[in-house]
Amino acid sequence: MTDTENNLLNLAEKREGQFAGMMEKIYRAAQPGAVYSEPVTAGNYTVITASEIAAGGGFGSGSGSAGLTTFPKQETSEPQTEPASGGGSGMGGGGGSSGRPVAVIIIGPEGVTVRPVVDVTKIALAGVTIWGTMIMLLGRLRKARKH
Amino acid sequence: MPERSKALFQWQKVSGQSLVVNDLTLTPQSQVLVVRFPWSAFVWQRPTAILVERNGQVERLSIVDRTRSIQLGLWGLGVIIFTVVNSIRLARRKKHDS
Repeated sequence: MTDTENNLLNLAEKREGQFAGMMEKIYRAAQPGAVYSEPVTAGNYTVITASEIAAGGGFGSGSGSAGLTTFPKQETSEPQTEPASGGGSGMGGGGGSSGRPVAVIIIGPEGVTVRPVVDVTKIALAGVTIWGTMIMLLGRLRKARKH
Repeated sequence: MPERSKALFQWQKVSGQSLVVNDLTLTPQSQVLVVRFPWSAFVWQRPTAILVERNGQVERLSIVDRTRSIQLGLWGLGVIIFTVVNSIRLARRKKHDS
């Protein structure tokens, strides 16, 4: 077995291992305990946060070997075909995850209460987008009225 | 770890491990979406409710995503405004053409 073939096999094994590890990390986000935090106790109160989480990732790879190479030999005018050795392979992957607190569960002497967490930044961004669209539409309407 | 299904799309409700705080037994519940492809995957999970058990009585406390509700409301409002403004514009154009 040539060095190139050995290298390709090693790369393929490494790639499989990395892929399995990455997928395992992504699927960890699907476990029931992932969205609820560990309870934190202070005095008579225990607090648990509930969050929304998303995770995703992908992986890709490719390899190829050199085929027959045609080139003219200097001594003869006819082109000669000879097998060429060599090849290459590549791989890549990426992934990400995000989380956002949705509610806080408070366990106290008066019982259990669920308090929602409002993300003002997200709401403001949605508002800005809608107002932007409205202003643009009103501008178009005014333009159409002039014509 | 439980054996995972190999379905392309998975949309299910799952219950987490119960925990005991004072005399209460809390069971968290959530909803999971798993999209599986041969070389990629996507997982989304959101909390839905918490079951509170006290003296044999079970109470379900829903977890509402207030941010998502407001966002959806704003987007819905945007779609309505867009439709109304476009309808007015089209009606005026038709009237102008005739």
